[in-house]
Amino acid sequence: MASIIKVSNLNYRYPDGTVGLKDVSFEAEEGETLVIIGANGTGKSTLFMNLTGILEGDGHINIAGLTLNKIQVKEIRRKVGMVFQNPDDQLFCPTVMDDVSFGPLNLGWDNNEVMAASQKALALVDMEGYESRTSYHLSFGEKKRAAIATVLSMDPKILLFDEPTSGLDPRSTSKFINILYTLKSQGKTILIVTHDIFLAQGIADKVLVFSEEKRPVAIGSYKEILSNYGLLLKNNLVHQHHHGQIVYEHEHRRGYIHERL
Amino acid sequence: MGFANNLVEGLDPRSKIISFLSIILCMVLTPITRLKDFGLYFLLILAIAFIAKITPRQILKRMFVLIPFILFIAIFIPFIKEGNVYWSIKIGYWQLRVTYEGVWTFLNLIIKSVLSIILLVIASATTTFPDFLQGMEMLRTPRLLVILMSFMYRYIFVLLDEAKRLMRARALRYFGSRYSEQFRIIGYMIGILFIRTFERAKRIYSAMIIRGFTGEIRSIKRFQFSYIDFLFITGIIISLLFIVSGIVYKLEHMKINNAHLWQAL
Ligand SMILES: Nc1ncnc2c1ncn2[C@@H]1O[C@H](COP(=O)(O)OP(=O)(O)OP(=O)(O)O)[C@@H](O)[C@H]1O
Ligand SMILES: [Mg+2]
Repeated sequence: MASIIKVSNLNYRYPDGTVGLKDVSFEAEEGETLVIIGANGTGKSTLFMNLTGILEGDGHINIAGLTLNKIQVKEIRRKVGMVFQNPDDQLFCPTVMDDVSFGPLNLGWDNNEVMAASQKALALVDMEGYESRTSYHLSFGEKKRAAIATVLSMDPKILLFDEPTSGLDPRSTSKFINILYTLKSQGKTILIVTHDIFLAQGIADKVLVFSEEKRPVAIGSYKEILSNYGLLLKNNLVHQHHHGQIVYEHEHRRGYIHERL
Repeated sequence: MGFANNLVEGLDPRSKIISFLSIILCMVLTPITRLKDFGLYFLLILAIAFIAKITPRQILKRMFVLIPFILFIAIFIPFIKEGNVYWSIKIGYWQLRVTYEGVWTFLNLIIKSVLSIILLVIASATTTFPDFLQGMEMLRTPRLLVILMSFMYRYIFVLLDEAKRLMRARALRYFGSRYSEQFRIIGYMIGILFIRTFERAKRIYSAMIIRGFTGEIRSIKRFQFSYIDFLFITGIIISLLFIVSGIVYKLEHMKINNAHLWQAL
């Protein structure tokens, strides 16, 4: 299979001089689900901003056969959907329906297509009946789901999720995992940033580990990465309790979810 | 839309904007000395409230929030305005004068604003803000204005929340200090609020361009003029014509004349 995302030697520095990304290179194949893990402030969100051309770093990015540059960035954005970490940034319209239809309308679809796609996206995240609700008055989890719907409605080939399950309750999380399986079966390429390494279980084709040096230090299957305690410990992905045993964050919670799935 | 509770709620927002604005325009242009006309305007507005199923209680409750402000501004006018003295009183050295002109200006302000407020209450109770915005847009209000209003509506609460959180964070760690110190901290908070707003605006803009925004806001057309809209607007316009042209009074005369006729017969 061909690489649908190819990043080579990408560097990014914020205007105030903070290093955001340092010499990042990786590839993702079409239809693949790539889970990106890494401690806080290791550049995961910065990477997503670079992949969508919001931030422009040095280096080479190729998405779906197109080189990311000023001219092709619009074409790339038609193929890439991104869900932000904070849903308040994603939902900027007066009503949920306005937000979900914002993308499809900009793609130039006609009214009926837009309506159908928006309804379908809302149904996928279990938000039917929220069409005319004001997004400000939604609960955090509902906002998060609505934010996901705003991207699903555009039906992009590639999906970027920045911490999609943070703040979701177990039921919404397992619902989201189901959505991921559906998208995967449709052949979408999915990149997920998460602090919940167990989210990767079963769904990740590859796990990418970001280190404090703001770049990927390991890539491999879920099994390979998770069996490498040293790697996880070094990158703050697990923490050692005082009684000396290694504890995976949220392990018990994840176990509970998988029972229910 | 089919699920509206009453006729006014189900109207296209455009019909409401057009007809309510025409009523307000007519009222503003009517000289205050035609007091009877305002009685008729009041009846018209009551009729609209009636079909909108809005109770007097609802109207009064919302009106009393706004009335004090208007009263506060208007209350001094009768005393300040120069003109023919209607009533005066002497308290020590002070000479208080109320003039005819002042009283009329006072009535002008109060009557017109109270009637307009009642209309606004009806409008806001039967139209959601997003619907109102779309109505404005469909009436070709400058797009920038509509976008600005929609962002304001969306983010004013977020901003207020953020301010509240900052205040709370300060209150939790505040144990009394000098005034100069407090002003400095308030200054910081305003600064932080500004920066956060600015950062948020940047992120929202990113979210917009990722979803293909190119400067043009498109929206699904949710509304269509129906015959009810047509009837509503025509009804309002005809009533306004009646009031403005003074035909009502002529009808009254005709009736009296008829009565005379009957008597004569
Ligand atoms: N607007 C900004 N200006 C300056 N520095 C920034 C800015 N945004 C992020 N950074 C810095 O860039 C680095 C990478 O940040 P980024 O947000 O990409 O981390 P992250 O991996 O997404 O973290 P988290 O898991 O907390 O979301 C951090 O050191 C951060 O402090
Ligand atoms: Mg992040």
